[in-house]
Amino acid sequence: MDPWLLVALCGLVTALATGLGAIPFAFVRNVSPKAEAVSHTLAAGLMLGASFGLVAEGTAHGSWQTLVGAVVGVAFILGVQRGLEGRDLQIGGATGRSARQMALMVIVMTMHSFSEGVAVGVSFGGGTTLATVITVAIAVHNIPEGLAISAVLHSRGVPVWKCAWWSIFSSLPQPLMAVPAFIFVEMFRPALPYGIGFAAGAMIFMVLVELLPEAYDTERKPRVALLVSVTLVAMMIFQRLLG
Amino acid sequence: MDHPVLAVLLLSSVAAVVSIAGVLPLLRAGGVPRVAVGWSHSLAAGAMLGAAFVLMTATQEQAVGAAGVGGLLGISFVWFTHLALGTQDLDLDRSDKSGAYGYKVLLVNSLHSASEGVAIGAAAMVSLSFGVFVAMAMAVHNMPEATAQSAVLRSRGVGFRDAAGLAVVSNFPQILMAVVAVALIQAAPALLPWALGFAFGALVYLVLAEHLPGSYRNAGPRTIALVTIVAMGIVIFLGGDRG
Repeated sequence: MDPWLLVALCGLVTALATGLGAIPFAFVRNVSPKAEAVSHTLAAGLMLGASFGLVAEGTAHGSWQTLVGAVVGVAFILGVQRGLEGRDLQIGGATGRSARQMALMVIVMTMHSFSEGVAVGVSFGGGTTLATVITVAIAVHNIPEGLAISAVLHSRGVPVWKCAWWSIFSSLPQPLMAVPAFIFVEMFRPALPYGIGFAAGAMIFMVLVELLPEAYDTERKPRVALLVSVTLVAMMIFQRLLG
Repeated sequence: MDHPVLAVLLLSSVAAVVSIAGVLPLLRAGGVPRVAVGWSHSLAAGAMLGAAFVLMTATQEQAVGAAGVGGLLGISFVWFTHLALGTQDLDLDRSDKSGAYGYKVLLVNSLHSASEGVAIGAAAMVSLSFGVFVAMAMAVHNMPEATAQSAVLRSRGVGFRDAAGLAVVSNFPQILMAVVAVALIQAAPALLPWALGFAFGALVYLVLAEHLPGSYRNAGPRTIALVTIVAMGIVIFLGGDRG
C-alpha cells in the first residue's frame, strides 16, 4: 500500500473513533435543564483537559508560535459568535441561543481537528512503522472529544446517531490534513505550534465564554466546580497514559 | 539555595504582603464598582489557572498515578472544607451588611490561601526558579483577590487600614502551608508528585468554585472570558518551560 494511503486510512479510523463518544448517550434518556448543565460541565472539563495537553505540546515546539495561534483562536471564536448572532438557526428542536451554541460547538471542534490532522501527518513523517501505535493513540484520544460534542448536542434533544455523525464530522479534517502534512512534512512542521495554539485557544475560550456561564446559570457552583475539575484531572491522567 | 524552607518562607511572605497593593483601589472615593470586582476575580482566576497549568507540566516527569490521586485529593480538600463550613454556595461579592457574612468571606479566603501555599512549596521543591515563578504568579493572583475581599469588607464599614491588614493576614495560611509542604517533601521526597497534583486539583477547583461564578454575574461572560484567558496566557507563556 502507498504510505500516503495508509496515512489517509489511519486518519479515517481516528475520525470514526470520535463517533464512539456518542455511545454513552444512548443510555441517557433524561433531557432536562439540569442534565443540560451537567453535560456542559462535562464538556467543559474534557475540553479544558484536551487544551492543557495541547498547550504543553505546543510550547514544546515554540512558545511564541503557540501564543500567536491561541490569540487567533480566541479571535476566531469571537468572530464566529458575532457571525452567528443575528441568525435564526434551527437545529433539531432547538432554536435561538441553544442552536447557535450547538453550531459554535461543532465549528470549534471541527476547526481544532485541522491542526490535529497536521499533527497526525507530521508524526507519521518519520515513517509508517509506528502507524498502529499512533492510530490507536489518536483514536482513543478522539473519544472524549466526541463525548464533549455529544454532551452539548444530546442535552438539546439531538438523537444519538446524529451526535455520532457530528462527532465524526468534526474529525474529518484529520484524514484531510494528515495526508498533505505527511507528504510535505518539512513544510507543515513549522506550522504545527500555530495550529496547536489555535486549537487550544479556541477550546479554552469556548469553555469560558459559553459552557461555564451557562452551567452556573442552572447548576450549583460546587457541582459545576467538582465535575469540571474531576474531569480535568481524569483527562490529565488519560493523556499522560496515552502519551 | 541550601535552605528551601527559608526560601519558601521568604517567597510566600512576599506573595502575601504584596496583596496590600490590591487594596489601594479602595482608596478611590465611592469604592470599587461591581464590574471592577468582577474583573478582579477573573484576573485572579486567570493567574491561578495559568499556575495550575505550569504545575501540571511539572508533574510530567513525576509518577502519573500519584499526581492524579493527588489532584483528586486537592479537589476533595477544598470541597470538604467548604462543606464543613457551610460555605459551598457562598457568593464572595455580596453587598449585604450582615457581619457574619464578612467573617465567612474572610474564612473562605484564608482557606483558599492554604492551597496556594501548597502550590508554592511543591513548586520550590521542583526547582528554586520554578518556586519563584509560582510564588510570583500567586502574588499577582493575590492582588486582585485582595481588591475583591476589601470591597466586601469596606462595604461593611471596615476601615481602610484594617482591610489592608486583613488582606495580608488572610494570606498567612499560604506561608504556613508552603513551609509545611516543603518540610514534608524534604522528609519524604516521594510526596512531591502528590503535592504537585494536590495543588493542581485544588487551584482548579478554587477557580471554578470561588472566582469565576461571581465574576460572570458582575461583568458578563465575554469580558470575563477574555480577561481570564489573557491572564492565563501570560502566566503560561512566561512559565511554560520552567517546570
